[in-house]
Amino acid sequence: MTDVAAAPIGGAPGDRHQIPPSIVVDGVRAAYGRIEVLHGVDLVVPPASVFALLGPNGAGKSTLLKVISGRMRPSSGQVLVGDKAIGKRPTEKLARSGLCAVPEGRGIFPNLTVRENLSIWTYRGGLNLRDVEERTFEAFPRLKERRRQMAGTLSGGEQQMLAISRALVTEPSVLLLDELSMGLAPLIVAELYELVGNLARRGMTILLVEQFVTTAVAVATRAAIMVHGRIEQEGTPQEMADAALSVYLA
Amino acid sequence: MSNFLQYTVFGVMVGAGYAIAATGLVVTYTTSGVFNFAQGAVGMIAALSYWELVSAHHVPVLLALVILLVFGASISGALVERVLMRRLHGASTERPVMVTLGLMVILTGVATLVWNPTTTRQVGNMVNGQFRLVGINIQYQEVLIIGVALAVAVALRALFYSSRTGYALRAVVDDPELLAMSGVSPNRMSQYGWILGFMMAALAGVLLAPTQTTGINIEAMTLLVVNGYAAAIVGRLKSIPVTFAAAIGIGLAENYILNYIVPHVPQTLVPDITNALPIVFLFIALVTVPAVRLRAAGRLTTVRAPRVASGKESLVAGVVFFGLAIVAAIVFSHTVFRGTTILALGGVVMSLGIVGLSLVLLTGYSGQVSLCQFSFMGIGAFVMGNIAGGGSLLGLLAATLVCAAVGALIALPTIRLRDLYLALATFAFASAVTRGFFADGHIYGNGGLSIGRIIVPGVSFGNDNAEFLMVTAFFVLAALMVLAIRRSLFGRRLVALNDSPAAYATVGLNIGFTKVAVFAIAAGMAGLAGALYGTVQGVVGQTDFEIFPGIIFVLFVTIWSIRTVSGAFLASLTYVVLSQVWFNGLGLFAGMGIILIGRAAGGILGIEALQFQLPWVKRSVTGTEGVTAGRQGAIPAIGGETRAAG
Amino acid sequence: MPLVEQTAGTAVLTVSEVAVRFGGVSALTDTSLLVQPGTVTGLIGPNGAGKTTLFNVISGLQTPDRGMVHLFDTDITAMKPHRRARLGLARTFQRLELFGSLTASENVQVGLESTVKWWEWRQLRRAVPWKRGSTVANANVPDVAQPPASGSLALATCDRLLEGVGLEGRGGQQSAAMSTGLARMVELARALAIGPKLLLLDEPGSGLDESETAALGELLCKLAAGGMAVLLVEHDMDLVMSICDHIYVLDFGDVIASGTPDQIRSDPMVQAAYLGEAAPVAEPVPGAPRPPQSIPDGFGGSP
Repeated sequence: MTDVAAAPIGGAPGDRHQIPPSIVVDGVRAAYGRIEVLHGVDLVVPPASVFALLGPNGAGKSTLLKVISGRMRPSSGQVLVGDKAIGKRPTEKLARSGLCAVPEGRGIFPNLTVRENLSIWTYRGGLNLRDVEERTFEAFPRLKERRRQMAGTLSGGEQQMLAISRALVTEPSVLLLDELSMGLAPLIVAELYELVGNLARRGMTILLVEQFVTTAVAVATRAAIMVHGRIEQEGTPQEMADAALSVYLA
Repeated sequence: MSNFLQYTVFGVMVGAGYAIAATGLVVTYTTSGVFNFAQGAVGMIAALSYWELVSAHHVPVLLALVILLVFGASISGALVERVLMRRLHGASTERPVMVTLGLMVILTGVATLVWNPTTTRQVGNMVNGQFRLVGINIQYQEVLIIGVALAVAVALRALFYSSRTGYALRAVVDDPELLAMSGVSPNRMSQYGWILGFMMAALAGVLLAPTQTTGINIEAMTLLVVNGYAAAIVGRLKSIPVTFAAAIGIGLAENYILNYIVPHVPQTLVPDITNALPIVFLFIALVTVPAVRLRAAGRLTTVRAPRVASGKESLVAGVVFFGLAIVAAIVFSHTVFRGTTILALGGVVMSLGIVGLSLVLLTGYSGQVSLCQFSFMGIGAFVMGNIAGGGSLLGLLAATLVCAAVGALIALPTIRLRDLYLALATFAFASAVTRGFFADGHIYGNGGLSIGRIIVPGVSFGNDNAEFLMVTAFFVLAALMVLAIRRSLFGRRLVALNDSPAAYATVGLNIGFTKVAVFAIAAGMAGLAGALYGTVQGVVGQTDFEIFPGIIFVLFVTIWSIRTVSGAFLASLTYVVLSQVWFNGLGLFAGMGIILIGRAAGGILGIEALQFQLPWVKRSVTGTEGVTAGRQGAIPAIGGETRAAG
Repeated sequence: MPLVEQTAGTAVLTVSEVAVRFGGVSALTDTSLLVQPGTVTGLIGPNGAGKTTLFNVISGLQTPDRGMVHLFDTDITAMKPHRRARLGLARTFQRLELFGSLTASENVQVGLESTVKWWEWRQLRRAVPWKRGSTVANANVPDVAQPPASGSLALATCDRLLEGVGLEGRGGQQSAAMSTGLARMVELARALAIGPKLLLLDEPGSGLDESETAALGELLCKLAAGGMAVLLVEHDMDLVMSICDHIYVLDFGDVIASGTPDQIRSDPMVQAAYLGEAAPVAEPVPGAPRPPQSIPDGFGGSP
């Protein structure tokens, strides 16, 4: 994989290094209709760290990412991204101010071609399609051959590459990754996580939700386990990996 | 041969007009998920405004087009999205349909107030003259319309496939949330969709106005777009090229049928056939749509369901209601009101109340929308008047059964599909029946069809008093029946089907069969109501069962509460009272009302602050209050107080 | 697969080489499995392995591109969902699919009455105003409130089903207002109410606390003891390992292992698949990574 960290990225917030972005989740409760799934979550993701959020299915991890990215309003509590409460700012405003969320499943538009998908990434501001394509194809040469193909017809791994290319080219200050490895073969997962490691080295604050404990722990600097809508334990990645085994395979 | 070519050119031109309107529908639908029933009304307003500017005030054609399309249509489209549609996110599926219908009746109401319908308004061609080609005369206007349609198609293609905004417009169809996460506002994209839809509706209206040889008729212009529905359905409400091609095909088919087949049928049937064409095309189109796949949506009803009255409660309420009706009958026939038509109006309220009840069953319980209940009333009255001399109980039975059968036929082609398609089919049916079947003198006769009072040996319903009480009795029985259905196994199935089709199928129940059954029952009830309405009025004519009053009535029921029996009664009462006071303003009331109610599923009666308890009708609801507390359990010791250390 | 052919005659459910693709993504690749009567069969695997897709194929919400599904000896591959249910196939949903505006007991009643024709006179008569709400009894429905050994002739009714899943006294609550745990039990009771021979449960344990999970496990064992076949997708490994007779492990839409809970627990391949050990950043478990040439989504694969 080519190291793309050296190239300066147009449109990235210049003050990223003066005010280090971080995520603070303070007493967040959230509910789908009447069913509450987050029962008061407190979490601090330090600046320029990779934080792995582990836990069994249905623990509320994805819901927490939805709240942080503004896709869901908490019923109480608040979220600060880079020392600023997200309040009622809509998802698109948060996205433009440097928060990139790659959702569970495939974060792509299946009925748009690869190129058209990449063109959507340019809404982040200060980017043009040529740069976006160049950067993406440099990291994932395989996508170049398929740029006129509908994104929905790509293989799962290629779709996920396209999805994460958004984080690669838009250079967000905060990146939320939801189950990047879902349904993907280990080799591809490895390649994607190598990229995540690269992004982390550039000072991006990354919060990732992952069920593959070992994969997540290898890139994380900090980790927590979430169960039943609450943070159950927090600690070093290795501590959490050991604890997770008892939660996952009894 | 030259005739054939002439018809072909004309057909392509008409089809091009439909194509513009239909692709506008598709653009709005794909980008916002809302089917704009007001599309035809927008075109109608544009056509009348164009007449106002060009014919009445002699504004140059191009300037008028700029004013209408670039400013008028785009600003109103943007406003409609922002003010009316955006707040409907998360509302029940029937609500966007209702709101666009509300917009339609507002626009037709405004048009009636502004442009007096008795005046003929003829719009001339934008370009005059013609030329000859391969032996036929081709008008420049025809060339213009076809050219504009092609230009619109090419422009849309370019927008959607070669511009970033176009990619985003297509992306919003795939995944609005992901689009927001990419920094684009999905609402903005929907707004563009509405602007484009309005502009194309206006363009279609302005271009098709000169083809209206008898002048711009508000109703006819509004319903002209029904021909485009079939095209949009063939394009599965998403493909613009297919929609465009289908619209041209429909324009051609229509002209071939009009010129080759219609001249050979009896003169009296001509309007029937002409007006039945859209619904024939629509039904053919419906058959081509592939069945919708059942999905586990994970959708949870969060709205509190109105409590269902128990058998005893509803029986007591029914008796009390009937008692009040007797008192009213005595008061109105023996006091100063004597000699007025108040009791006859009371009978109308009760018979329309039965139509309202049919909507409670159909829309309130099972979530399907019917816009042709007034048409079933008309058919019911027609059957009543033609069976056993008009005043027979047999007529009531026949009216019910015939309408139930017709209802089943309408619902059948749509059962595999989403509920929107049923609403479209009923709209097309109501439009065809209003303009063809009913409008024709041979159905109701030129002076209307007379229907006598019901004759039962030993009892006379000759006076208004008895007639009123008889219709009231039918209303009470129908209300008790609807409530009984809700308490019965069939009622539970209707509500269950509305809540989760996927779960409904996986417990072993047949979705399509249930949908057809409830639609047929509701149609039968409307037929009975029409027959009773006929006996109250004595004479019925084509103006009694028109499409717009029928839609306005649906809106009234929705405004009050389409989920309760009291909603049906109050809707009928207010509808009849207001129609006596200011008939032309009904649409304005209905439209404004539905807009104000917005996404509140329970209507006025569902508003919390208005909940009150009568001694015999408890309107409380079941279910626990407030947000269910999170599950305490599993690991309270560790899970409770963990706080991340920086 | 020889395994399928050997025992196909006795199995309740036979899934043979089912494949489903969504666009370019393969959700299931030639998946085969068997569910025997009177057993609880577990289906586990990481998120996105294709478990819910397989459930949708079995229950008729998804048509497979290839392969066959048999319920007993009947080919149900192309059958409509409601017809499959009438043959005795019931399911629950990972994301709840309740009849939210109905009460808990009405939800169950819809299931209980699913074979009743609503236009029959005795049904219509129940709804007359002076009758109280009806309750239906069905001899085919397991009486989960009674242990199967008692040989009770009592017919299962709505109240008894609710009691059996631990919802006694809550029948009158609107189901949309219930907590996840209770709502899952309403769904389970509704599924049982159709008298299933095969019960598909999609993560019934998520949203349940420990005591509720234990009760669920007990209930499932009891149902299996009564002869029902249960296919269980579940992330709670405690539950799966303690009640399943046989477990299939699904990964990338493919069965990578099957066997008893003990065999599965000690299978290094399963551990690897489940924890994502194959990532090179971690210490590789010997023999764990799948050979690259068989990876469906791999760079070497066709799109």
